[in-house]
Amino acid sequence: MSYVDVIDLAYTYPDGTQALHGVTLSIESGEMLSLIGQNGSGKTTLSKCLNGLLLPTSGNVVVDGHDSKSSSISDMVRRVGYVFQNPDHQLFNPTCRDEIAYGPRNIGIREPEVTERVEEAATVVGLGSEHLTEHPFFLTKGLRQRVAIAAILALRPRVIIVDEPTTGQDARQAREIMGFLTTLNREHGHTIIIITHDMDIVAAYTERILAMAKGTLIADNSAREIFSNPAIMERASLAPPQITRLAQALGDMGIHPGVLSLDEMIAAFEGS
Amino acid sequence: MNKTLLGYVPDASFIYLVHPTIKVLFLLVVSLFPMFISAVEWNVGLMVGLMALTVASRVNMRTLKIYIPVAVSMGMIILLSYTVLGGRHPDYQVITRIFGFPLYWERIRDALVVYFRILPMILTMVFFLSTTREREIIAALRAVRTPFVVTYVLAMSMRAAGMVMEDFRIVRQAEQARGFDSKNKPLPYKIRKYVMYMVPLFALSLRRSEEFTNALVARGYSFRSKVKRPDYILSRYRFAWWDGALGVVIAALFALLLVARYRFGRFTVEDSVLLRYLHTILIPGGGA
Amino acid sequence: MSSPAIQVTDYSWKYLHSTTRAIKNIELIVQPGECLGLIGSNGSGKTTLCNSIDGLIPGQYHGIKEGRVEVFGTEVEEYRRGELQRTVGLVFSDPEAQFTAMTVEDELVFGMENLGLSISEINRRLEWVCDLADLSPLLDKPPYEISGGQKQRVALAAMLAMQPRVLILDEPTAMLDPVSRERVFAVLARLRKEREITMILIEHSLEHIIPLADRMVLLSNGRKLHEAPTRTFFSDLSLLRQEGIHLPGAVGFSGYLRESGATTDEPAISVEEAAQQARNLRGAAKGELS
Repeated sequence: MSYVDVIDLAYTYPDGTQALHGVTLSIESGEMLSLIGQNGSGKTTLSKCLNGLLLPTSGNVVVDGHDSKSSSISDMVRRVGYVFQNPDHQLFNPTCRDEIAYGPRNIGIREPEVTERVEEAATVVGLGSEHLTEHPFFLTKGLRQRVAIAAILALRPRVIIVDEPTTGQDARQAREIMGFLTTLNREHGHTIIIITHDMDIVAAYTERILAMAKGTLIADNSAREIFSNPAIMERASLAPPQITRLAQALGDMGIHPGVLSLDEMIAAFEGS
Repeated sequence: MNKTLLGYVPDASFIYLVHPTIKVLFLLVVSLFPMFISAVEWNVGLMVGLMALTVASRVNMRTLKIYIPVAVSMGMIILLSYTVLGGRHPDYQVITRIFGFPLYWERIRDALVVYFRILPMILTMVFFLSTTREREIIAALRAVRTPFVVTYVLAMSMRAAGMVMEDFRIVRQAEQARGFDSKNKPLPYKIRKYVMYMVPLFALSLRRSEEFTNALVARGYSFRSKVKRPDYILSRYRFAWWDGALGVVIAALFALLLVARYRFGRFTVEDSVLLRYLHTILIPGGGA
Repeated sequence: MSSPAIQVTDYSWKYLHSTTRAIKNIELIVQPGECLGLIGSNGSGKTTLCNSIDGLIPGQYHGIKEGRVEVFGTEVEEYRRGELQRTVGLVFSDPEAQFTAMTVEDELVFGMENLGLSISEINRRLEWVCDLADLSPLLDKPPYEISGGQKQRVALAAMLAMQPRVLILDEPTAMLDPVSRERVFAVLARLRKEREITMILIEHSLEHIIPLADRMVLLSNGRKLHEAPTRTFFSDLSLLRQEGIHLPGAVGFSGYLRESGATTDEPAISVEEAAQQARNLRGAAKGELS
């Protein structure tokens, strides 16, 4: 049994829209994954099912032995954290310190430990003590996003889902955020699931891709395998990164269609 | 298929041929009818008429079912407040006594009259909301020469309401994702937590307002603009002869009602065949 | 000779509560019908520059302006109220915040009403933008019920309906998924083919800016760091790398070939060109061997 097991999951919204059907997957502790697909393919619904915000219409989500249907929301969120796309939707407290402490207090952590968790989470995301006393509203967007992540970290979930962390960021900021998420994964052992439309990010940072289309999982494999499979990319209405497309255009020169970076491309070209 | 204010979707329907102004006139005038009708059977008749219109407009009747429990419980509340909580009136006619409390005919009669006045009013509103879109309200207001700024602010607030509701939903989920669980918590706790939602909602609207003002300026809009606006929306709704006819019919019906009521004393409690019949059943031999 | 569409002369801008200038001594000329790609990291002054051309700066913001910003030969501050907005259209990255109406149709019409166009003219333009941006099936829908990509196409079409001579797009696809993004750029490409329109496009994704832009400008810290016709712009990649700009794979690869001395060709800026460069080299290598 894996840390997260999703078994034949289906979810239908109250208005009758079927957002998910027949999703089965397992996630081990310590993985770094990306969840890709068009808007409306079911990525967000799946994520919300993983942390118990939505309960399956049929099928099961089992995290660390807890079935979401029979567990309380606070049981689920201390295992799977979900960072919403817009930090402004999730910052409600007068100071960053209260903001980060909010989650642990909700799940009944005692005060000395709350303080300890706040300090730890703030350090991990690189928030200085001068920021902790500030009102989140007045921070820059990048910092607000960090506060939002720290607020989830303080719940110490093993799995963290981050919804489009690089949207609206420039290349440097995107690298910074992804670098930070990679550190959480490698050094702190968190399982990280990134929801993104940016295939360059997918190629550069994640080992495993879950590709979704029309409410179901259409592929669960490495970036290399998925990007070099045109049928899957087409079904997901996605195009691989430009460097991969270049490699594919040069397939007849013996270059592997699953090239993921410029360095790989150069090596492949020099070896051709 | 069009989404209306109540979210119901009438299919292709004659109702789309009616000018929004006439719809609003219908709402305003017809919902007044019950105020002048005390005779229960006439109000029931009005309800049947409204139901017939709703069906004819092809509003999905299944979705209206949710109003049945509301209507029933409202009836119970009215009945209780008129009988049990109605107080003692020595001059009223007693039907029977329950545990010594008198049950008066007049109170039951009044409860019926009130209840059957409210139902057609609600039905008029439901009919209107199920067949009218937000944009039609704006069109109706413009048609009667409401200043643009007024209709514009109204439209904006309707739109903002939609946006805030969407934000509210996400904020609530974001709170749950942080382990907030309102199950089995006392009410003051819940209220306090609800107040917290205001913070992000406020922050979001502040951040948006700047972009929004910019967008308005970029679209050439200014509250002090001297440009004569062509009012495109009205060009989509033209008055047809039947709109005039409908307007006349609605006004004539109302005038007739008023004349019948105040000139000839019709539609009153005394005029109600149904109430008279009920009276003879409940109080056999008792004179009116 | 007629005046350029946009002429920015020694222009600086400082926001009132800021200690440094957001724009520093910028010189820029955009000719009518030209498409200029504007890139740079967040906070480099791209949006401030665009808002200055549309008159939002100094109209909606307080600050200190130096130098001149001219649109078709007239300083933006000298335009009569509302007149500049007829000439310059602005599309933002968040379509949500731009909507003011209850249906897509009213949304498209709002700007035209503000211009005081006749109903028949409105109908004619409405038909044109609906066809251009493929919006006919959406006309009756409320703007908050359609998808993000559709919203942005509506916002773009609403702006185009006003037929501005200059169109400024500030990261128009930042919030969109890949398919929606392609569709927005397809609309822009078609627009450029069908009409003479001057365009300034801000976008992080170089891959999408390259096929549209005639010329590119790199801003950093409020200064213009680099400006060249699109292909020449990528002759020297060191500056772009130093600025942390993410280079598309084809550009990066062609840059490697040129920097390693393998080729002296011009920079490749599309997958097809880069592939051709690679083929030519291998073909040449084989030719030498045989």
